[in-house]
Amino acid sequence: MGKILIVDDTLFMRTLLKNILFSGGHTIAGEAGDGEEAIAKYKELKPDLVTMDVVMPKMNGIEALKGIKALDPAARVVMCTAVGQEQMVKLAIKSGAKGYIVKPFQAPKVLEEVKNVLAS
Amino acid sequence: MSEFEAYRGLFVAESRENHENLVKNLLILEKGSDQNAIDEIFRSCHTLKGASASMGYAEMERLCHAMEDVFQLVRSGTAEITQDLGDLLLACSDLLEQMIDDVEGGGDTSSLNPDDQVNSLKEWIGQRGGKPEKKGAAPAAPALESPASPVSEPLPLEGNVPEFEITVTVASECMMKDVRAMLAIGNLESLGTILTINPSKEAIDEGNFDGVLKLKIASDAGEEALKTAASGTEIAAVDVKAVVKQEAPAVKKPVDNDKKPAAAADKSREIKNLRVDITQLDHIMNLVEDLVINRGRLKQISEQHKIKELGEAIGMVERSVSELQNLMMNIRMIPLNQIFNRLPRVVRDVAIYDKKEVEFVIEGGETELDRSVMDGLNDPLLHLIRNAVNHGIESPDEREKAGKPRKGFVKLSAHRDRDNVIIELVDDGAGVNVEKVKAKAVERGLVTKEVADTYTTEQAVDLLFQPGFSTADKISDISGRGVGLDVVKRSIESLKGTIRVETTPGKGSRFELLLPPTMAIVDVMIVRINGRRLGIPISSIVEVANFKRDTTHFIGEGEAVLLRDEVIQLMWLNDMVGESEVCEILIVVQYEKRKCCIPVDLVEGKQEVVVKPLSKLIGNTRGVSGITILGDGEVVPVLDVNTIV
Repeated sequence: MGKILIVDDTLFMRTLLKNILFSGGHTIAGEAGDGEEAIAKYKELKPDLVTMDVVMPKMNGIEALKGIKALDPAARVVMCTAVGQEQMVKLAIKSGAKGYIVKPFQAPKVLEEVKNVLAS
Repeated sequence: MSEFEAYRGLFVAESRENHENLVKNLLILEKGSDQNAIDEIFRSCHTLKGASASMGYAEMERLCHAMEDVFQLVRSGTAEITQDLGDLLLACSDLLEQMIDDVEGGGDTSSLNPDDQVNSLKEWIGQRGGKPEKKGAAPAAPALESPASPVSEPLPLEGNVPEFEITVTVASECMMKDVRAMLAIGNLESLGTILTINPSKEAIDEGNFDGVLKLKIASDAGEEALKTAASGTEIAAVDVKAVVKQEAPAVKKPVDNDKKPAAAADKSREIKNLRVDITQLDHIMNLVEDLVINRGRLKQISEQHKIKELGEAIGMVERSVSELQNLMMNIRMIPLNQIFNRLPRVVRDVAIYDKKEVEFVIEGGETELDRSVMDGLNDPLLHLIRNAVNHGIESPDEREKAGKPRKGFVKLSAHRDRDNVIIELVDDGAGVNVEKVKAKAVERGLVTKEVADTYTTEQAVDLLFQPGFSTADKISDISGRGVGLDVVKRSIESLKGTIRVETTPGKGSRFELLLPPTMAIVDVMIVRINGRRLGIPISSIVEVANFKRDTTHFIGEGEAVLLRDEVIQLMWLNDMVGESEVCEILIVVQYEKRKCCIPVDLVEGKQEVVVKPLSKLIGNTRGVSGITILGDGEVVPVLDVNTIV
């Protein structure tokens, strides 16, 4: 069970994910609505894991991932992605993302991935 | 998908924002390429797609997906927004809005078939030559600093490290098998050196991966650790086999997982906004109103009984309640942009329909109005804007003939003026044709020709607001929907606002809406007639004067007084409160330019009250806008001066 930072530009997705993670026994360290905020929150909250949306205003998920990785090379970041974004996810993984979950989220899959990445 | 029922409200609210963003930026794009607008549209489409998919709204997802595909092409620079495409995308966004409406009403968009739109979008993509590149989804990301080394060939080893052959099978239901493979490779790389890999990293990167990954790794982490590293979500099987070779002591590769960032004490940012259901806000507002009423009541009781401590405590409560009331008023204020933002689209549609060229400018959209006022403002404003383009602005040829630029100009602006919000709609069109208006009014039987001939421009323009008046010869698709300016006027009046028109033939018109920023709390003068109390809104009172019964004059059936050389009609409220013998005071009220005076017995004072609308059960109550409950618990009607005058 880990302390998780949720990054997504929509409250809807954040709430959805929050409830899934909560149901899996995780605690929500905090939420961020864009890439810049994600980095600031990471510094502040030092979560065990970050779920990172890819398409966001101000700073996209890949840039935010790089920012977080620069702060903490061991950061565990799981990308939230959708079918059709394979290239983006690959880019994210090359930049150090530890996993990915695909929208629409299926709770068991999300929890499995989070559990695996936390264990890594 | 009942498990998502709880998210419906949130989904609707955010989808509306995204939809608005989409339309706003589409209109920006029509004026010329704008990378930021393209990115914004892409993001909105993408978010809408993701959210609708999550909620299980397949039709909406399908539509958003097709729109997203088109935007990937636009984004990658292969295509640009033409008017045709703009029309198509706006039609899609209309359907999208219907879908959001449907969801809001409890539906799941299944009743709204997006086939037409989706097919048109696909057709358009087809004409551009082929399907959208998936790669377009990646915004020009900088090249990676750490390029993946080509590991298809064996690498030289430092020392004698045990080697393993690993086969990783990705689960068949996995959505992005190649990505899973990459993750597995990444995890294994952290434990050792990969010697061979099949398919190669490059092939996997390009998406050539069938689900089975074979690799050879030199690692001293041990079989179990390698197996764990390669397994994970959606990995069906991992097979690790040690390659038999000479064993030798190995140097353990340090893997530091505990490195934490040097936590610079950066200013933390917090989520500063909170989304609240508007019905909850309304409920809080009702409670605040009740508090305001009871505050007045408590104050009266304390004055009657003269208990000092109680008076003090009530003083404190009073301050808190006032603050709370102000705060609630502020919370309910919404920037006008919420409705203004929709209007460029309307102007565009009407202009295209009428083959006119119009430049539309919005100013002061940040001006705030109470939500209740805002709700009632949408339709009248829409109507006025349609009118301005449809009737006001001339065709480009006509304009040219008149020596004006071909492109018409319409400006909508808003600003706060002391206690009111003023919304102005100015156009540089033909202005109101006064003669045509008069002729029409005569034809419609609204006024006789003789009377009409005596009308000033101002009076003639007033005819526009008469029920049943419309100068458009035909009812068009756009502005004549069987409602006219009379409906606009009535709507504005129901918001306690006024509407004024100024027009200069050949130069254009100016509509001015004067609105109270809020409707809930009103300053009233409490008067007494025949023992009954009444509230009269202070805003409509112009004067309070002494009154003697024997100074009235009878003119026809009416009764009037002469006040400062002005003849003002008397309005007895006998029907409402019964006949009074005293009546020594006149309250002169004014609505627009018409005045009348109401004789009353006594003026009790000024009070800030909450006016509650009368329930529909009571029916038509001309002259009364609502009721208020005073401090002593008495229910008092509040006069509606507009209808009295």
